[in-house]
Amino acid sequence: MSNLVESLRENAGKYPNNEAIVLGDDRLSYQQLWSSVSKLASFFADNGFKRGERVALLLDNSPEFVVAYYGVAAAGGAVVALNTAVKAMDLDSWIGHSGSTWVIANAQHSEFGKLAARQQAVKFVLFNASEKAEDDFLWEDVEAYTDSQPDVTIDGDDVAQIIYTSGTTGEPKGVTLTHHNLFTNFSSVLQYLDLDDSDSIVNVLPFYYSYGNSVLHTHMMVGGKVVLQNSLMYPHLVMQKITDEKVTGFSGVPSTFTLLLSRVKLDEVDLSSLKYVTQAGGAMSPSHIERFCDAVPNARFFVMYGQTEASARIAYLPPDELINKMGAVGIPVPGVKVEIRDDNGNPVENGLEGEICVFGENLMKGYWRNPEKTNEVLVDGWLKTGDLAHMDDDGYIFIHGRSSDIIKSGAHRISPKEIEEVIHELPEVEEVAVVGDPDEVLGELIRACIVVKPDMELEARVIKAHCHQRLAQYKIPKKIEFVKELPKTASGKIRRFLLVDN
Amino acid sequence: MSNQQKIKDYILENFLFSDDQSALKEDDSFMSKGIVDSTGMLEIIYFLEDEFGVQVAEDEMVPENLDSVNNLVAFLAKKQ
Repeated sequence: MSNLVESLRENAGKYPNNEAIVLGDDRLSYQQLWSSVSKLASFFADNGFKRGERVALLLDNSPEFVVAYYGVAAAGGAVVALNTAVKAMDLDSWIGHSGSTWVIANAQHSEFGKLAARQQAVKFVLFNASEKAEDDFLWEDVEAYTDSQPDVTIDGDDVAQIIYTSGTTGEPKGVTLTHHNLFTNFSSVLQYLDLDDSDSIVNVLPFYYSYGNSVLHTHMMVGGKVVLQNSLMYPHLVMQKITDEKVTGFSGVPSTFTLLLSRVKLDEVDLSSLKYVTQAGGAMSPSHIERFCDAVPNARFFVMYGQTEASARIAYLPPDELINKMGAVGIPVPGVKVEIRDDNGNPVENGLEGEICVFGENLMKGYWRNPEKTNEVLVDGWLKTGDLAHMDDDGYIFIHGRSSDIIKSGAHRISPKEIEEVIHELPEVEEVAVVGDPDEVLGELIRACIVVKPDMELEARVIKAHCHQRLAQYKIPKKIEFVKELPKTASGKIRRFLLVDN
Repeated sequence: MSNQQKIKDYILENFLFSDDQSALKEDDSFMSKGIVDSTGMLEIIYFLEDEFGVQVAEDEMVPENLDSVNNLVAFLAKKQ
């Protein structure tokens, strides 16, 4: 069985002049990419790097991110790609929890200064920097190394990547994925997307989440091209990029497509190069799917479903069945089994609701250094997803909702508990519950319901300002509602679902 | 109140949750400073359309028009 590094090395030999990564005027061929990857691996080997060491990346989607990812893997290390939208406190917690010994960071990142002050023990490799501390290195130092690949053997069971899915106030959950997990799952994805080295994609998804991660590596595995467009703030420019680069693919979450449909006249943009479009990260409304498909009649539209704990993909809806099975997330991807089970772990009959449980070589090794949480979701080799669904007689999965409280807003999975704990830090707050209200653009919109202590006063702006200090922008509640009390069970647990605005 | 002040107050109140005028410079880039994300930009456009009665066309949604208080003020002056 191969792995991502081996696959990239082969493609650098087969397609040396194919473009691999494009960002603005920066165009990196497979040969150039592999050369930079080998230099970074040589750099690590020369600096006493040991197999299995973790390296955190604080880099936005960029050619440097891709070089760093593959360079760390080629050196025998595990990548911890940090969410670049969060605050230093979260970054600090994940670096500490993963035991990362190195951090490759963009020194211009807004939280970098705070992070560097907190992280004295790790060594930094700094991109976009002109100065450094004594024990640190500059990206330019790496480029001076030889591009002969160090002699490192990668086993399928070696940890390739740890993806953190929750913030600092809860227990850190680092999804630990092996080389074998990633390679088998991305191979499954390639089977149904049917990509080759002539394919290319405009990518707006962050690589630090599993969806963007799978988009990147599936294209690297076939010698395809990934054109980076790092912001959806200007949807028109994203569509223009598809036209200019004549790419064959585009991937998004429901809010991506809603933004495009609401702000771009798609019939006036030349999207004729698109052959495939993928959508994951939550349910997209059928009317939006139909409208987008009308705008790109030549493209196959794939609805997909997955979880970080399953490397990325669990199910996909074959485009030929899109109309017939509208509302379904499809059938299991090749090599993966899905059962819908009741609370006792027994499979339910077709048509009945239960929890989606998954079996396959794509399942994570566990949560990093957290056997307790691992045992809650990995039972007898099966992954309990927490998603509620039924399966029809043809084996198609229809999701009803989640059994846990996670809020899905845009591309993000957000724990309400984390936001509640931050709001609770304000002395005026007696009680707080955070919920996700249905929202056309974001999927769910964060609302905080707050009970203020008797004889105290609190303004919504003060709460938002406090959240702004402590939390990533996307976790700040859009709405603040002051209430007299929160609905509770007899045992005093907050009944969150009664607060959701349906 | 000038258009510049109205826009600055709106950004401060809705994205920085502050009334401290020094928290935002007129030429701060919303994108590179991480002040606004893609849905936030949509909110700014709705604000421009509601508050100033202009229509923002899709090809006008570019950083030169929208990425700072100064850019927004200049864009508005062209539209009004």
